[in-house]
Amino acid sequence: MVKKYSKLLIIIAAVLLICIPLALTSPSYEELASRVPDGFYKEEVKKSSEVYKDWGVISSLIITQQISSSKAEKYYMVGLAGMTFGVYVDMGTKLNFWEGMVKFTANCMTWLPNLLRGAEITILLTIAAVTVGVILSVFLALGKMSKIKILRGFCEIYIFVFRGTPLLMQLFFIYYGLPLINPSLAINNRFMAAWIAFGLNSAAYCAEIIRAGIQSIDKGQFEAAKALGFNYAKTMKKIIIPQTYRRLIPPIANEFIMVLKDASLTSIIALQDLSKITQSIMTSTNDVLIYLPSMAIYLIITWVFTKIFASLEKKFSVYE
Amino acid sequence: MSIIKTENLCKDFGELKVLKNCSLEVEQGEVVCIIGPSGAGKSTFLRSLNRLEKITSGKIWIDDVLIDDREHGVNRVTKTHKEIAALLLDMGMVFQRFNLFPHLTVLENVMLAPVEVKGMEKEEARKIARELIAKVGLAAKEDVYPAKLSGGQQQRVAIARALAMQPKIMLFDEPTSALDPELVGEVLQVMKDLAKEGMTMLVVTHEMGFAKEVADRVVFMYQGSILEEAAPEKLFSSPENERTRMFLQSVLNT
Repeated sequence: MVKKYSKLLIIIAAVLLICIPLALTSPSYEELASRVPDGFYKEEVKKSSEVYKDWGVISSLIITQQISSSKAEKYYMVGLAGMTFGVYVDMGTKLNFWEGMVKFTANCMTWLPNLLRGAEITILLTIAAVTVGVILSVFLALGKMSKIKILRGFCEIYIFVFRGTPLLMQLFFIYYGLPLINPSLAINNRFMAAWIAFGLNSAAYCAEIIRAGIQSIDKGQFEAAKALGFNYAKTMKKIIIPQTYRRLIPPIANEFIMVLKDASLTSIIALQDLSKITQSIMTSTNDVLIYLPSMAIYLIITWVFTKIFASLEKKFSVYE
Repeated sequence: MSIIKTENLCKDFGELKVLKNCSLEVEQGEVVCIIGPSGAGKSTFLRSLNRLEKITSGKIWIDDVLIDDREHGVNRVTKTHKEIAALLLDMGMVFQRFNLFPHLTVLENVMLAPVEVKGMEKEEARKIARELIAKVGLAAKEDVYPAKLSGGQQQRVAIARALAMQPKIMLFDEPTSALDPELVGEVLQVMKDLAKEGMTMLVVTHEMGFAKEVADRVVFMYQGSILEEAAPEKLFSSPENERTRMFLQSVLNT
């Protein structure tokens, strides 16, 4: 049991080990207050941006309620620091580390249902996109190796374009750009639009993976198949491609994890994925620590899928 | 009736002429061995028969049907791809490096082509495959993957796999060259048994003992040409060509 989850336990321990000394060594109010320059309360100094570059000063001002956190936000460059230190401020008293942890845990529990809804979309999108990508990429890879010039040219251009331009722009273009070219191309479902963009993009990457996989198969296999009378399609389907499975799994798993994280790009078309929800919780609560549970969820998803891919690899290695 | 006949086969790799006017005829039931130094074009000749290599010019007949009639790479035969593919099925091939399908068990290796290419029922293919595997002495290894077999066992499976297509002629491309010396015997024994059953065979080999014992005719190739062909007793004892004599001397004396 302990061994099985050892990786996660190590991560949790590491986070705690980093947090505890940081919390224990955080400076006192007095120390922070002493860093406030003399004559701060004169209006002209308040407006000077130099003061607000010192986060310690800003937080001490908020903590000692010499300015309120909402007021602090209004000032130039205060935003992020105000939010960060706001976590430990509750009705004007600073919470100690353990009280902070309790509050943080309570916050996590309230965020969790929303985060999980986002995680569901992220996982669904990733699985759907990589599945479509892998299926398309088989044809792209075979096309790129084809003797037919037009087909080969088409596949090369496809891979060139989709690998050579940012996924963010492809997504933006498919959702916002296509309807402007022709209204009948509008995709009203955000998930569908993201699926198409991610699927097409992933196909270009997987095509190269699959081409490399096919070309790594011994030439003798093609010759043996030909000598036995197999035509091209059957040679590929029955002999060559099954042999590539095991070799394809590590790079495809890699691609899968990349897509999982790239899924955060869908926030530009307002798809409520894990990143988008994290972002909106952060803006509504001003609590930057939302990133911790959110990243933990990403880690858990990645961990589960890494296990799945590892067991698939084992299954396909049975003949070696 | 000749199973395979070639006339003036030529093959160029750019400037390099690998085959020069090779003409050979193999009758039904004959065992023909091709010998010669490495680089003589023996394997290329064999491989061009079942189109693993494209010939530059020359003619090839299978079962007295002309399937290749080329001049500077252009085929003048008007047969459809399908008709030619059907004729090519009459040739079974065994490779130097076995080329078994590593992702399939021994039984699946032997069954695959009859089911997929000939459209045979699985049950029937399995029955035939089992018989052939037993024939090459590997009945106990049916469900084993090739990686778990020795080289000699793999080559015997490869022979069974080729036989499963019920070919009229078997082409052997140096079937024992990649084997450890102690494994050569078991493969040669299977080939001898095949010859005894009357299978037509065309064998590229360095095993002079096998050629002497089994072959009806031995062909000597040198630098892309067929220099001499004769019965083994005659070729090994009194070769007419000077090159043949030198080659045999160097091979048999070591």
